[in-house]
Amino acid sequence: MITFLIRRILILVPMALLISMLIFFAIRLSPVDPILYMVPPDAANDPANLERLRESLGLNAPLPIQYLRWLGNMVTGDFGYSISSGQRISDILALRLPATLELVGLAMLLSTTIALSLGLFAGAKPGGIADKLARTIAVIGIAVPDFFFGIALLQIFSYRLGWLPAGGRMLPGQITFLDRLPQLVLPVAALTFGMLAVLIRYTRNSVLDTMGKEFVKTARSKGVPEWKVLYGHVFRNSLGPVMVILAFRLPLLVGGSVLIETIFRWPGIGHTVVSAVSSSDYPVIMVTSMLIALMILFASFLIDVVKSILDPRVRLS
Amino acid sequence: MSSHTHNAASSLQPVPTPRQAGRQALRKPESSLHAYARSFLHNRNAMLGLTVIVLMVLAAVFAEQITGYSPTQMNPAQSRQPPSADHWLGTDQLGRDVFARVLHGARTSIYVGVAASLLETLLGTVLGAIAGYMRGPIDGILMRISEVVMTFPNLILVMIFVSLLGQGVNNVVLVFALSGWMTTFRLVRSEFMSLREETFVEATRSFGYSRPRIVFKHMLPNALSPIVVAFTINIAHYIIAEAGLSFLGLGVPVTTPTWGNLLSAAESSEVMKSYWWLWVAPALAIIIFVTGINFVGDGLRDVLDPKTRRTPVRKILRDNLLGKRVES
Repeated sequence: MITFLIRRILILVPMALLISMLIFFAIRLSPVDPILYMVPPDAANDPANLERLRESLGLNAPLPIQYLRWLGNMVTGDFGYSISSGQRISDILALRLPATLELVGLAMLLSTTIALSLGLFAGAKPGGIADKLARTIAVIGIAVPDFFFGIALLQIFSYRLGWLPAGGRMLPGQITFLDRLPQLVLPVAALTFGMLAVLIRYTRNSVLDTMGKEFVKTARSKGVPEWKVLYGHVFRNSLGPVMVILAFRLPLLVGGSVLIETIFRWPGIGHTVVSAVSSSDYPVIMVTSMLIALMILFASFLIDVVKSILDPRVRLS
Repeated sequence: MSSHTHNAASSLQPVPTPRQAGRQALRKPESSLHAYARSFLHNRNAMLGLTVIVLMVLAAVFAEQITGYSPTQMNPAQSRQPPSADHWLGTDQLGRDVFARVLHGARTSIYVGVAASLLETLLGTVLGAIAGYMRGPIDGILMRISEVVMTFPNLILVMIFVSLLGQGVNNVVLVFALSGWMTTFRLVRSEFMSLREETFVEATRSFGYSRPRIVFKHMLPNALSPIVVAFTINIAHYIIAEAGLSFLGLGVPVTTPTWGNLLSAAESSEVMKSYWWLWVAPALAIIIFVTGINFVGDGLRDVLDPKTRRTPVRKILRDNLLGKRVES
């Protein structure tokens, strides 16, 4: 097990390097000239000005050298500056990451709790009320993307009924979590809804699969009470596939949901990425994509670990 | 016990006369295609989905005949009219007929969904077949590439591609295919890995057939079922993806009506407050069409690929990491 873990960790390093290269060269080789976004148009008329700026920013060095410099800075924690706002990228991240963590973390917590309990009851009694509810949510949730749902929520609860604010994270004077709660309700609800469908479906099917196993029959024939069979035997053994899905969602914690954050004007990472892309703010794009890519790598590592615990054969291959 | 009752039941059936037996023997055996079609036709949800899709495609094709309004003709005097007998779904801020725009938008949206899914399937299938059959270094390289592309955040990848290629209907199709081929690639690769150990493939090799002939003529038809299912489901996925991308203003240029572009009207809080018909119609169109596609896809899966109805970890992996649901 330990050698397997070490081997998996060692693979992460070249993968991360490869991705950093891909991110750097894909973005730097794009035809968009970031310099033109940095200077006012009248200054851009004089090529000598542009040249001087390029020189001072180190943009004239050969790309591989620039890449190494960038990588070196990243490793030492210097992420560089945003082109469009001039802010340090580490400051932007420090401001935006908590917002995304708050939004996605709450949605993941809620959706997991709801999906696991509903999936368990649905799988325990196929055709029952919980099962019907679970299947309805699954069908609707797969056809209705979370951002439609977000728009609809906004329309009903904010514009029609006026119960909840239409967006943003905090108003001046709102300091504690409770103050901000009204702003959180709608985006969290939309995101939770989007995460529910798939998770419910897998939990239900997994529970259904486990219910048919021999050890469940054995437990019942030994006279174990039904609720104990459900919680102690079935539920624990059907968690495996569910854990895999949850691991796949970890990257959302740092990446945020681009669409939900745009709709609710939530100042998170997803929102940052969209505005960075539309203003060709390449240093920000590079750092945020690197961050998300690293999280995805970490998630896939976790999944391998979960898989190897579930199925020892994985370790050998 | 069960074999006993079976015998009893069959002994009750009348013994066929020689002529009947002869006819039965002469009748062509039912082809597997027929059997598939019959079992699909009996799947209520799948048929419902198919009907909805066909109706919507027909409505898109005959958009001019159905509405009588042009999707681009402006009429400032009729700006932002609520739905009425004249304008079934109202008009937008420039006085254009929303119903006409939804129908014309269907053309582009459905085209993007189908074309992107087709291109992705083609790319993934060819690469997957090669990797799965050849194995060795080619497989290794393709696998690494697919892993790297999958690790790259999907929506960001799409946005970067778009900013490189520029916005346009066919660019969106290309971007979706380039950033999404890995699912099909992995699916086809694992199919081919197990197929290449089968006896019939051994036989074609011993006949001395060329590799392309073995791979595409003899092996591919045997791997087609999951590919067809994935193709169908992916159409729905790309229609939603187009809507999301256009909503952000990074998809199809706003001059072309698509469901996503129409929906992006909802970005303005003014529209959200007072002009609900501008975004409800395209949203409903997407939801209904996507549900139809999903029903057909599930039906196809039940018919073609009964073993995947269970959900082993492998399938979840296929659907998720590999898949696109990681980030929305």
